[in-house]
Amino acid sequence: MLCKLAWGNVRRASRDYLIYLLTLALGVTVFYAFNTISLQVDIAGIKTAGMREIMSELLSRLTIFLAAVMGFLMVYANNFIMKRRKREFGLYQVLGMTRGQVARIMAYETLIVSGAALVLGIICGIALSQLMVFFTASLFKTQISNFHFFISPSALFITIGCLVAIFVVTLLLNLRVVVRVKLVDLMGAERRHESIKTRNPLLSGIICLVGLALIIWAYCRLLHDGLPLTAPVGQLDFAMRRFGITTLMVTVGTVAFFFGLSGLLLKLLQTMRKVYWRGLNMFTVRQLAAKINTISMSMAIIAMILFFAITSVTCGMSIASAMNASLLRCTPADFSCNVMYNNSEFVESSEDGEITKGVMPSEPYDMQAALEERGVDFAKIAKGVQQVDIYSSVPAGEEDPSILLDDLIRRSKTTLPAGMDEATVMYQGIPVVKLSDYNKYLAFRGFDQLHLADNQYLITCDMGDTLDDMFNSILSAGTTITLGGKTLVPGADKIDPQAGAFCNSALGLNSGTVVLPDAVVDQMGFALQYSSLLVNYKDGADAQKIDAEFADLSSLNDAGIGIGTNVYQNDGSNIGFWGNSLNRNEMIEQTDGMNGMISYLCIYIGFVLVIACAAIISIQQLSSVADSSKSVRVLSEVGCDRLAIDHSILLQQAVLFFFPLGVGLAHSLVALRVIISVVLLFGGFDIGGTVGLICTVFLFAYGGYFALTYGISKCIVRGAVRVRHTE
Amino acid sequence: MSPVFSAQANSVRVGAPPVLEVNHIEKVYGSRGAVTRALNDVSFIVETGEFVGIMGASGSGKSTLLNCVSTIDAVTSGGIFVDGQDVTKIKNAKLAKFRREQLGFIFQDSNLLDTLTARENIALPLTIGRLSADETLMRVQEMAARLNISDVLDKYPFQLSGGQQQRVAAARALVTNPKLVMADEPTGALDSKNARMLLENFENLNRTYNATVLMVTHDGYAASYTNRVLFIRDGRIFTELRRGDDSRQAFFNRIMDVVAIMGGEVSDAL
Repeated sequence: MLCKLAWGNVRRASRDYLIYLLTLALGVTVFYAFNTISLQVDIAGIKTAGMREIMSELLSRLTIFLAAVMGFLMVYANNFIMKRRKREFGLYQVLGMTRGQVARIMAYETLIVSGAALVLGIICGIALSQLMVFFTASLFKTQISNFHFFISPSALFITIGCLVAIFVVTLLLNLRVVVRVKLVDLMGAERRHESIKTRNPLLSGIICLVGLALIIWAYCRLLHDGLPLTAPVGQLDFAMRRFGITTLMVTVGTVAFFFGLSGLLLKLLQTMRKVYWRGLNMFTVRQLAAKINTISMSMAIIAMILFFAITSVTCGMSIASAMNASLLRCTPADFSCNVMYNNSEFVESSEDGEITKGVMPSEPYDMQAALEERGVDFAKIAKGVQQVDIYSSVPAGEEDPSILLDDLIRRSKTTLPAGMDEATVMYQGIPVVKLSDYNKYLAFRGFDQLHLADNQYLITCDMGDTLDDMFNSILSAGTTITLGGKTLVPGADKIDPQAGAFCNSALGLNSGTVVLPDAVVDQMGFALQYSSLLVNYKDGADAQKIDAEFADLSSLNDAGIGIGTNVYQNDGSNIGFWGNSLNRNEMIEQTDGMNGMISYLCIYIGFVLVIACAAIISIQQLSSVADSSKSVRVLSEVGCDRLAIDHSILLQQAVLFFFPLGVGLAHSLVALRVIISVVLLFGGFDIGGTVGLICTVFLFAYGGYFALTYGISKCIVRGAVRVRHTE
Repeated sequence: MSPVFSAQANSVRVGAPPVLEVNHIEKVYGSRGAVTRALNDVSFIVETGEFVGIMGASGSGKSTLLNCVSTIDAVTSGGIFVDGQDVTKIKNAKLAKFRREQLGFIFQDSNLLDTLTARENIALPLTIGRLSADETLMRVQEMAARLNISDVLDKYPFQLSGGQQQRVAAARALVTNPKLVMADEPTGALDSKNARMLLENFENLNRTYNATVLMVTHDGYAASYTNRVLFIRDGRIFTELRRGDDSRQAFFNRIMDVVAIMGGEVSDAL
């Protein structure tokens, strides 16, 4: 009997329950799908060692976060339904049902809806997880080797466990309502909401403007200061404090903005008499003002959450895409290794103590020969081998470099990119490469030769657009370099962004190297800084095997080329040590894995937050529309047609949905401007592509909630208009 | 038996149709098997400037009648003519405009929009009708003066007393100069002092401005302010009383006599 009653209730209140059901089901779907990650990683063919463990470890932590968000949402949605049902539960008690029986009805109702949501959610989740395999594969850039339908028992188990926990919590909360609350309050619940919050429109309008001013001020501060990450070392604390204050300002500003928004809207529209006293405009504004007054705090919070979601998603995705772009640029060869030479400072400090006495190299170390000594048969494996020697711009016998970035920038009146103030290149001087060496390098890469006259120079760089732009501006300004009494002018007005990587790296290592005629380098007696050996494998060679052999060498110290292994010249004195050795395939795999992971995190967090925000607004809207059904009836009786009422509600809901989104978006745009300028240092920034796709998906989810809310509201309005005034 | 009660008294303009003519209407609820006849062949006429009361016990069909006249509910058969136009034939799309321009409503609970000030509540039907802002505010001011609520125009409904709320509602109903004002138990939620004040307002509006008012009530005292009372029982018109030149007290006594004859809940309610 109680079951039947509960079933009837659910069907009757289906409209109220629909949003609850959908939110819950969506939660379950996302929850399940993301918990199948470790299985997906297998199917998507991701082989990077440890990726599966890292991903499932990371996501299982995120799952807790997700469970908390979903739990909060459920409790919120449930409260909304309970508020609407209080009177009914009171009535049951008046009619002689015991509290236990009422509680059981409620438990059954919650059980029916949660059960339905669970089944629906898991079906959708299983479907989604199949689709996500392809998505995962594309994020990690792998091929799906053998696709098959799969269900993850462990994900199923976790999902059901979490839902049961949420169910129990909601049930307990509901029971408390029934058991604790006085009957008279239950019966009178409907009447109580009628007291509306009013604020002095002038005062709140001013508060709103103050909030707006605070926000704008904070924007200016942020744009001016940049991120504290880019602050000079000594001023980091100060910068952090300033950044903290800026954050506080924007937060307070947002809260104040929404707190006073109603007043501002009201005052603004009231001054436009013709607009205000026309049609339902004043009704729309007044309703909106009343609503904003009651939910201003949650609007502010939602704006901040959306801000966070948008920023983190865009940021993460763009870092991933920047890494991708720079990967292509920064891996010139299948394998590369470096030798770092002693500099004069090290040579001086190594004279005392037990450190092997180091000397400055008299000529470049023959890396190819060194590797052949260690058993590498280049004739067998390599299509091309090329060593590039890079010199510092410190002339022999001196301590200070003769080419300083600082100097070039000042003379060409170039603006320094954000985050560069304290970069090492600024005071270490720009290294140098001989034209003949550079041309050999170009030949190795398959590029055209570079021709420079005796009085010309060029700059190379592999760090991406921001630095490229800086050097281009130096070159195009015709900035001269004077070396040993000789003045050199730029040999071109642009650098070649693809021909600057002298060794493999993830994000670029060459932050500027000057190409000089050989004679100038010899005349100045510049000291060697490092040498790179670039190796391209033979076509059809077993790249994996060669990679493995090089990896073995790189892991050995004395018998190999492990980092830090000393390098000696013919007379037995130490001239430096081996640096990093990297093969391209490994770089690509690592980057793809890293990209995939960053993307996953962003999408996961972003999606959950966006859905949560949309669901909360949606629930608030529906409850307020249901509360205002009396007003709708009055409007209809006063002679307003339903279309106009629908229109008014659409307008109200659009404001409530899109104002927080707009504010969040504005915050993000400003924050991203600053963040992007830092990300740009590491290479290209791509807002299109995946980021665009993800944002579209998010907007669809958000807009979908908006459309759904409006659709249900329209139904409520239609119902309210149809109901006779005198029941 | 279906007597047509027509009013010869008051200001009958020759040739002009009556404000309201209810012509043999029926309202049947339910389907085969369980049919309820809420209205059974009801006919009457209200002329311009009349203040007509409709009395009956709960369930007698008086509210159904009001809903049918006000186009909120549809009749099963028969015709309702407001100013010569058959409202049962008006298309749904035009109903809102018709209600807005021809009818005014006052309900038991004042039904004011609680987010709007009194001024805005009164102005609502005018702004919906796209009257200019200046004209709207002028007419609101004027109507508020007639109903003695000029000084509370900028207050919200929850800041007003029950009587003030009801007068604001009356102002909203009257501000469009409707052909017919319909009041459904307007004094039902008021104490006796406020009820008397509202009724005196109605009486005044009716006498001074020739407003036509149709008021449903089960309160004999309220009914005694009208020119004429129709009594409804079991979906039919039982009888009608005309005030004529009687004093309000005398009319009240006659009303109570009919109520006693009709018996049932009406007398219980008093």
